[in-house]
Amino acid sequence: MKPAKMKSIGLNAVLLIFSGITILPFLWMLAFSFKTNAEISALSQRFLPRHPTWDNYANALTRMAFLRYFFNSLSYALVLSVITIYTSAISGFVLCKYRFRGRKLLFGMILSTMMVPGVVTIIPRYSMMRALGWLNQFQALIVPSLFTSFGIFMMRQSCTAVPDEILEAARIDGANEFYIFHRIVLPMLRNAVASMAIFQFLWAWEDYLWPYLMIRSESKQLLSIALNMFSGRFSTDYAGLFAATSIAIIPVVICYLVFQKQFIQGIASSAVKG
Amino acid sequence: MMQANRRKKNALRSRSEIILRSTVAAALVIFFFAFYFIPILIAFYGSFHLWNPLKGQFKYTGLKNWQTVLNNKLFWFSLKNTGLFSVAAVLARIVIGLLLASALFSRLVKAPSFLRTLYYLPTITPMVAVAFVWKNMYDPQFGLLNQLLGTKINWLFDGRYAMPAILLLTVWKDFGYAVVILLGGMYSLPMDCFEAAEIDGANAMQRFFGITLPLLRPTVIFIVITSFISYFQTYIPVMVLTQGGPGTKTHLASYLIFDQAFSKYNFGYASAMSFILFIIIAVLTGLSFKASGKNQL
Repeated sequence: MKPAKMKSIGLNAVLLIFSGITILPFLWMLAFSFKTNAEISALSQRFLPRHPTWDNYANALTRMAFLRYFFNSLSYALVLSVITIYTSAISGFVLCKYRFRGRKLLFGMILSTMMVPGVVTIIPRYSMMRALGWLNQFQALIVPSLFTSFGIFMMRQSCTAVPDEILEAARIDGANEFYIFHRIVLPMLRNAVASMAIFQFLWAWEDYLWPYLMIRSESKQLLSIALNMFSGRFSTDYAGLFAATSIAIIPVVICYLVFQKQFIQGIASSAVKG
Repeated sequence: MMQANRRKKNALRSRSEIILRSTVAAALVIFFFAFYFIPILIAFYGSFHLWNPLKGQFKYTGLKNWQTVLNNKLFWFSLKNTGLFSVAAVLARIVIGLLLASALFSRLVKAPSFLRTLYYLPTITPMVAVAFVWKNMYDPQFGLLNQLLGTKINWLFDGRYAMPAILLLTVWKDFGYAVVILLGGMYSLPMDCFEAAEIDGANAMQRFFGITLPLLRPTVIFIVITSFISYFQTYIPVMVLTQGGPGTKTHLASYLIFDQAFSKYNFGYASAMSFILFIIIAVLTGLSFKASGKNQL
């Protein structure tokens, strides 16, 4: 009884320490975002603001066209997530359930692109977009990311759990393959869909380099780039930046909370066991 | 028998299957050629040229870029830096991930799902955003870190601490991902193994090294490979925290390449560097697959 209790206390202590380390930067950011200018420039800093103020939030919203960037990022992340989840699911399904010549080669090819570092392809891609005249266009963000090898890999793995008998039964009932994929297989992939929703939404939301290279006009700019500009232009007005950041974190957290149950189930049941 | 079955299936193939499969296969081939294989070829071809898109230059220079890269001390230094950084980050991620995942797995803990979500929080917050938070915490005058530790370290401008500072941010951001994936792996392990071992009197350490770790090998290898690939391309923390400084202390390969490509527009030179990085990643990935004893994922 006693050693078990000791062990429990030890484990919980370790977990608690890491909880503190995890949460501290977020608390620091939040506390900072409510500080007044006088307090920020003061030499000695306290953790909590002495006179909490909403000014930084008001400033962030008005000074940097925050809402515009926010909605640009939101539409980019939503559109890209929906598209890539769909393309990954249908590709994974085809690569998993149909037998055709070149299937293994195709899948191997797709997998091999996972180890191509972004720096190798980004220069030619940039040149391609220039040549196409797509600079500063929304499609320059979307088209080069229409498919993701990681997503296809994940969806193919999940498709192996879909029994062939169900597909055969549907075929005998006269269902065509489009019906089978959309109405039978896709709903069965919901755990993988949830995981991808979390990964892809975050990936697009925090995407920096590619949008930075592609988007040049203020009105089309994304939030992650705007946050970085914000720091340079106003010699890092941290309070304003952190107010903006605090809001910028909300959509990804919501996305995670919405999908986390299926996401965890997905990891536990199949996903990355190789 | 198998052969006959397959033939029967082929005969039964419906028109809709052929349409669906051909469309998807064609789209995949076009996409991956257009955005991966052809760009790789262009990068390789371009690495033999003086290539500056702003000046419209594209002039064949033979091996000049490659020679310059191979003789560039900063490039080798940044590669070494990248290697050390990646090894340290992967190790930290795996060790902390295993430690916390097994703690959460051990049923002695209250509210494991709450803690799991908490640890995952840094992973789901945008890197640019949290990098600024850490930049502020590293501030020598009013930063949180010096206050907490009671030190007076100039984290980002002292050559000894700048790289560890980037590492610390990276580990903080990413350990939660390893915890969640490993915990998921643990939940899918066969329970009777643990029960049998417990009955046989194996203690927690023995159970961990004797059962959990060997069974989790594929998951661990998966995390090691994917983490290596992504850490080799670390860019944003360097951009936000140090811009490669102090001096060139925190130059990582990707940072150097992007700097050459998109502030100096030396596309040919940057392509040569990126190709070397690509070869290193490919070799390392190949080796880890070999070490894992599997030819495929």
